[in-house]
Amino acid sequence: MTVAVVTGVGAVGSFGCGRAALAEALRTSHATVSEVDRSGGYHLPESARTAALAAGADLAAWVPPSAGRRMSPPSKLAVAAARMALEEAGPSTPAAEDGLTEVVLATAFGPASFTERLLRTILAEGPESASPFLFTECVANAPAAQVAIACQARGPNITVTQREAGALIALGRAASDVAAGTVTRALAGAVDETTPLVHAVLDRYQALSRPSAEGGERARPFDRRRSGFLVGEGAAVLVVEDQAAARAREAPVLARVRAWGSGFDPTASRVSWGRGHEPLARALRRMLDRAGLSPRELDLVVSGASGSVAGDRLEAHTLHAAWGDDPLPPVLAPKAVVGEYGGGQLAAAVLAATGAEFGPTPGFEVFDPDLRVVPHAGGPLGGPRRVLVSGLAGGGAAAWVVLERP
Amino acid sequence: MASEARDRRRAVVTGLGAVSACGWGVAALRAGLRSGRTAIGPFQRFDHRRHRTHVAAEAPPGPPPWFVRGPRWERLSLADRFAVFAAREALGQSGLAAPLGERAAGVFFASSTGGLLESERYFARLLPPGPRPPLRWMASQEINGPGDAVARDLAVTGPVQTLSSACASGALALEAALAAIRSGEVDLAVAGGSDSLCEITYAGFNSLRAVDEAPCRPFREDRAGLSIGEGAGVLVLESLDHARARGAVSLAELAGAGGSCDASHMTAPHPQGAGAALAVTRALADAGKGPGAIDFVNAHGTGTPLNDVAEFAGLESALGPRAREVPLTSTKGVVGHLLGSSGALEAVATVLGLCDREVHPTPGGGRVDPEIHARLVLETPLAVPQARAALSTSLAFGGCNVALVLTREE
Repeated sequence: MTVAVVTGVGAVGSFGCGRAALAEALRTSHATVSEVDRSGGYHLPESARTAALAAGADLAAWVPPSAGRRMSPPSKLAVAAARMALEEAGPSTPAAEDGLTEVVLATAFGPASFTERLLRTILAEGPESASPFLFTECVANAPAAQVAIACQARGPNITVTQREAGALIALGRAASDVAAGTVTRALAGAVDETTPLVHAVLDRYQALSRPSAEGGERARPFDRRRSGFLVGEGAAVLVVEDQAAARAREAPVLARVRAWGSGFDPTASRVSWGRGHEPLARALRRMLDRAGLSPRELDLVVSGASGSVAGDRLEAHTLHAAWGDDPLPPVLAPKAVVGEYGGGQLAAAVLAATGAEFGPTPGFEVFDPDLRVVPHAGGPLGGPRRVLVSGLAGGGAAAWVVLERP
Repeated sequence: MASEARDRRRAVVTGLGAVSACGWGVAALRAGLRSGRTAIGPFQRFDHRRHRTHVAAEAPPGPPPWFVRGPRWERLSLADRFAVFAAREALGQSGLAAPLGERAAGVFFASSTGGLLESERYFARLLPPGPRPPLRWMASQEINGPGDAVARDLAVTGPVQTLSSACASGALALEAALAAIRSGEVDLAVAGGSDSLCEITYAGFNSLRAVDEAPCRPFREDRAGLSIGEGAGVLVLESLDHARARGAVSLAELAGAGGSCDASHMTAPHPQGAGAALAVTRALADAGKGPGAIDFVNAHGTGTPLNDVAEFAGLESALGPRAREVPLTSTKGVVGHLLGSSGALEAVATVLGLCDREVHPTPGGGRVDPEIHARLVLETPLAVPQARAALSTSLAFGGCNVALVLTREE
């Protein structure tokens, strides 16, 4: 078995394009939010109004308009992030140069805008008006396929659809295949777009943060007053390759992927989080056992906590159950900045593993005695040796990855 | 490579489950496959009067009366129901029962559209002014719905993954299950896929002019497109040691899997089937087998003019002269194209072929395409008494290819 390492990060989100833009947003704890278009009539009058949208991101440097016109929004986001990641991984990594490159991308909702447009056309104008272009770009694996075409990645092409756990499942799969030597490198990550319809439906499920007494909508991870998450969109793609090969070509090794694993909470409802923290903690411990690690050896948690009432509760209880009587290490909750979906947490986790500075957790002010988690309040993190990245999904799935400083 | 293959944990199939246009259950599928008749025909799933074509492979009403519906059954999407039924059937054959929470068990599932059929109904009611549709119609709209429904039904606490790489998803799910068993992450995997007919996919494939107005005729000279189907295929996979320790009957071994991407076009296959050939080559290497070891091929075989030619070119590239000798069939000729679940259902059909030592026919009538030098199994089953290994291929939108090697356990 070889060792899988991360040598490149590409990210697009409401924070802008690239690792530097993301790092600045995380350092300053600044969430860029905008009003969601409500003109479609999908929203209820008192619904949430904002999201961390990536609509303003200028992707032309990575996706020429002549190519982008044949892509759905998620495909463009994914291709841009993949090219950013390959650029960072070094000039000697054109994907088709040697060996096989795998693509593993996660998406929660797929190309939602194209699917909606196609269905609207079918319903309003009849099925014979359906556009073949919209159809081919509305399949969930369109972004992964477009990345393969753009980067000439001829290895396995895999799309994971497991909501909030998908990005970590994708990274685990990529690391597993690189470590096993079945592929030379992998482009792994997540992509999602948030349409007004997606926003409205999430709101109807009471998943989104609502306007508070202080005004505005705030995601408040782990806070007792949390009322829901900030939905985001964007893409994050990592270059994962063999450590020896990366060192041989003097590539920047950002993090080692030390462990990965997943579990399921069968008490979860179809759309929300359950209360099965004990089995999830056992699954997390099994993952650590397989890697020869104990919770005490983890210096930092990059939590998937988002401000979700049930999701944060399950996250906190799972962490406490896994750590037992030991205190938790520092806990980050980057989704308060980057939003839920679109891979922002994944890219933030790699930055955390490299020792990046994180500002205080936005929205956290009131301790929740049920959760017993005080997320990072800002200041230096001390260069963590090992970082646990956690992703618990509505519906029951869960995934974890341990990143290690090289 | 062969010695490496021998040293790994092996994964055997101990249970099968299926829902298809042939009916609910593996027995119905087996009878349908052997019959030499297509199950594709007129359908009722949605109003298709304004569509270009009017045939599909629709599952009959179900489940059968003996099936015990759980308390959540009424809230499940149709694809979820197919999945839960097939998973319980497969688990029953394997001699196991829910809950699986105390076992090192996972669910590896595939879907292309999840609960899109129900989402379409929600959206159709949302568009015009008036009362909002019930939110429960959207409750199962996500693609991970069928896999999650199976995991909840079986009370699984191990890994649950849904793969959605269009028509290769089902084979990818099996490949993911194989990887998890080999790595020791699980001892037991419920692996498969489920999809239901819905209007978007029906209209979408019609917009590409990829749907035959008649039932599809894979590899035939006059083929004119695919036929969309629905249903689920599920296999219970176990590590060989786990299966032996509990005295389970092994139906077959999932000996190898290989994936690739054409990386050339979103819908058209590589004309020489380069990506398909790479997937087959990787699957054979993974299984430690050569082309001569393959005794029959369950091809992707959609019936579209481009796919069948490209696929056979890929088989010739990977298998060499063996490609023209080995019996070849397409399950889609019987049950249509189950999209994300097709790879899983076709793996079920392949295991049945290995167990029954016969290759099911590919209905459709007419002459085999003279440009495709395949030994297509025509209207009646072909006995293959010595068959020990078979290949199943899945080729998808986006150039995503997966090949599986299934063998009789040795």
